[in-house]
Amino acid sequence: MLVTLERGCHQGDELGLGLPSFPIDWSSELFTLTYGALVTQLCKDYENDEDVNKQLDKMGFNIGVRLIEDFLARSNVGRCHDFRETADVIAKVAFKMYLGITPSITNWSPAGDEFSLILENNPLVDFVELPDNHSSLIYSNLLCGVLRGALEMVQMAVEAKFVQDTLKGDGVTEIRMRFIRRIEDNLPAGEE
Amino acid sequence: MAVCIAVIAKENYPLYIRSTPTENELKFHYMVHTSLDVVDEKISAMGKALVDQRELYLGLLYPTEDYKVYGYVTNSKVKFVMVVDSSNTALRDNEIRSMFRKLHNSYTDVMCNPFYNPGDRIQSSPGGPYFLCPYPVQVGPTSCVRSSPGGPYSCVRSSPGEPYSLCPIQSRAFDNMVTSMMIQVC
Repeated sequence: MLVTLERGCHQGDELGLGLPSFPIDWSSELFTLTYGALVTQLCKDYENDEDVNKQLDKMGFNIGVRLIEDFLARSNVGRCHDFRETADVIAKVAFKMYLGITPSITNWSPAGDEFSLILENNPLVDFVELPDNHSSLIYSNLLCGVLRGALEMVQMAVEAKFVQDTLKGDGVTEIRMRFIRRIEDNLPAGEE
Repeated sequence: MAVCIAVIAKENYPLYIRSTPTENELKFHYMVHTSLDVVDEKISAMGKALVDQRELYLGLLYPTEDYKVYGYVTNSKVKFVMVVDSSNTALRDNEIRSMFRKLHNSYTDVMCNPFYNPGDRIQSSPGGPYFLCPYPVQVGPTSCVRSSPGGPYSCVRSSPGEPYSLCPIQSRAFDNMVTSMMIQVC
């Protein structure tokens, strides 16, 4: 970290819409440190880890419902026909665009409604070591909220949760996504 | 191969001291403490020249009959002190420099951990889960358990009959870096 800025994924304005190149050249370390400060502040405000997890999920949800608009505008992907396409778009386009990583998709359930995103490295958790008194904290729970919120705005109710986490000693970080149902009514998704 | 590595805060209290436990640890603590005076002297001597030109690596602070003490100061006045065995003549200056640079990198990683409060000791409080240091020490528990970081404990023994010591695991990456420096030259 001493030496260079790295991993700023410099995507230009490929669509020619006059959008600023994304992300505006900033260091990924600033993002990681900001997220870390956020989580530690939440830990200080809420006494127990479960409340922090819920708050992170809520915050992620609020980010997700807004982020989806930005994503659809920049990426110009069409409507996905099934959950598999959605998974591909999430892993190959969305994660690449916002976090600069491309998780792999594995472990499809037989019914095709559940899959796992395997993140080899998670930029949110660079330099982080969970202390012992926060062993049940799901540090990157914001990501689950973002996925849930974004997909709800495109009429898909999903559940996202972490099943493996490098902070807890596992080799990779794994998010399990489960499709619940298609949302038919057109009422805007309420915030919790 | 370092026999003792210490990180001293700006206010001159230790953030981290670790020495190979085959020796009397107090001796190393004392050596590090006395070396702080030499460090201050070197900083103020260079301070009369342009501050920009002050290098982080201070070089050999002072030799004793058995050991040599090297120093390194960051721009935030955090000091790293390394004690090496005098008999280890193979250690060259640029190797010591690179060890200090690696230590500095590990230290900045510890600082970036959002759960670490600057000024805290770089260790978790005793009583937490431990992992075993892979080097032989004075008599300790002979049961052979080593944990993968944070994970369940598994039975591993590097050599039969070898006693192990226990170390706290909060700043694992930093501890691992220091351990590797004590075992071999980086």
